[in-house]
Amino acid sequence: DQVLHIVPETFQQVQHLQLLCSTLMLDLWKPLQPEDIRAGEDLHIRVPAPLVQEVKDSLDQHMISYRVLIPDVQKLVDQSMPRERSSHKQVSEGYVYTEYHPMEEIYQWMTQIQKNNSELVTQHILGKTFENRTMYYLQISQPSNKPKKIIWMDCGIHAREWISPAFCQWFVKEILQNYKSDPKISRFLQNLDLYVLPVLNIDGYIYSWEKDRFWRKNRSPYNNGTCYGTDLNRNFNSSWGSVGVSFNCSSDVFCGSGPESEPETRAVAQFIKSKKSDIVCYLTMHSYGQLILTPYGSTTKPPSNNEELMQVGKDAAAALTGKYGTSYKVGSTALILYNNSGSSRDWVHTIGIPLSYTFELRDTGTHGFVLPADQIQPTCEETM
Amino acid sequence: RAMELPPSHFPAGRAAAVALGYLRYLRGGPGRGLQLRQLRRARRQDIEDAGHKYSLELELEDVLDKDRTVTCTAEVLYPLGSKSSAPEVQVTVQGELRSTQEADQDFYNRIRSLEKELVAENIPDSHGNVPPHLEPIHLLAWAASGYVIWQNSTENTEFHLAQVKHVKQVKRSDEDLQFDYVVLLHEMVSQEVIPWEVTVLWHPRRGARVSRDRRQPGH
Repeated sequence: DQVLHIVPETFQQVQHLQLLCSTLMLDLWKPLQPEDIRAGEDLHIRVPAPLVQEVKDSLDQHMISYRVLIPDVQKLVDQSMPRERSSHKQVSEGYVYTEYHPMEEIYQWMTQIQKNNSELVTQHILGKTFENRTMYYLQISQPSNKPKKIIWMDCGIHAREWISPAFCQWFVKEILQNYKSDPKISRFLQNLDLYVLPVLNIDGYIYSWEKDRFWRKNRSPYNNGTCYGTDLNRNFNSSWGSVGVSFNCSSDVFCGSGPESEPETRAVAQFIKSKKSDIVCYLTMHSYGQLILTPYGSTTKPPSNNEELMQVGKDAAAALTGKYGTSYKVGSTALILYNNSGSSRDWVHTIGIPLSYTFELRDTGTHGFVLPADQIQPTCEETM
Repeated sequence: RAMELPPSHFPAGRAAAVALGYLRYLRGGPGRGLQLRQLRRARRQDIEDAGHKYSLELELEDVLDKDRTVTCTAEVLYPLGSKSSAPEVQVTVQGELRSTQEADQDFYNRIRSLEKELVAENIPDSHGNVPPHLEPIHLLAWAASGYVIWQNSTENTEFHLAQVKHVKQVKRSDEDLQFDYVVLLHEMVSQEVIPWEVTVLWHPRRGARVSRDRRQPGH
């Protein structure tokens, strides 16, 4: 739709315009009624898109000059109002992957995904959160008589990093939508099973939707309920409590009362331990920073397979940059970010899983944790 | 005695964040939001009895003019000792930044003509949205928080503006615009999100000046 600005010069022009407005039932913005159109005075009309050409032709025919005041009314409307539930990116079940979803909807999504893709997807219980919510992971596995190795990916260990669960959901959708048509993906699934945990820190995630957008930790109480939350990524049994942590519950890097003190940590650790010999790659998704982080956080001494870790990491970063030019840095947490201990990625590596990475998704601080939803798609596409 | 530092390692990154804060305060405003495109080069020199000096080569862009970048050299000197005094920063911007004269004047006129004092909160909102008419207020917050970040950084911190929690315009009898902000600053190392009150005065020709700032107690 366009809005045209016209200043009629003669009475004939006024008459023609009045006729045009009433026959085509155009939306007069100024003046409000056709009878108030006057020669020498501003006229603003909104013309619906399908009529734009016809109206302009008619004005040209009558030598009435006009100017386009607003070339795209919808665009202006969209800009002035945050879109609530727009459906620009509808995918098969109607789930909008380019928006952030509250936990309720993610639970429903998991159920749907399994239902719609039952030949490939099974939903499993990992454990329970402190507030007794069920932690589910999705197993994407192509039936075969070959035993398969596993790639594990978890998202949402830190509540405020909303782009992370958004990525896990996107990832699952991409795999399921394209495994038949994309030779790379189908070959992948012939040899590997994918285990995806869309939200690890469910209690924290819900809290960041309902109470505090910048909450990071889980929601277990300490100090007689006067203080809440352990940083789950400081709670794993890898040099636990040694560096980059606080023993004070009010800190955002509180490491808990002991390694694996938190039910969420235990749920993940137990499972990974049980499948240890089959997991070849562990990925944990965070934001922000645009980093691919390798072990370790607690020391700058490189892990035994550092060369391989760095090579694969660099290849991944290059592929990512190839998509939209987004640059990622690759390296160990201790060198690139800060010192920390008790991270899931480090623990996984120490128990023998060779390829273990933390991804810090977009951006580098411009929006930080509140990454606009319109960046969900490009972030996810490049990270795929 | 100056050591070359890998730009991807955190010491250089932290110094760059300080330089950026300083630059945003000095050159930013409702019509200009500077961000770091790339840290090209970093060197560190330990100066006896003074502190650690980082020399940086930065590539910057204006979020309102993304097709162009501008090179900047900066020196960030973190002073010795546990006394909390601000790092000393010097910057040289090579080349021209896009002019903000018109945008600044428009913003100034718009705010001056408001009947009621402007009040807003949660910029961006939880989903990352900023209504277009609040973008200049958002960018002015970048400038204001740039000051706080510069003044409060050490080699063991890295601050980013997480969100404008609240902003209130305060009408003045002089020609300045005044905005009382509560900004949320995310500190990377401690992972804390810290509320900070900042009062900023702004005028199209005089730019931004922070007149008062205070870390809000509690979390």
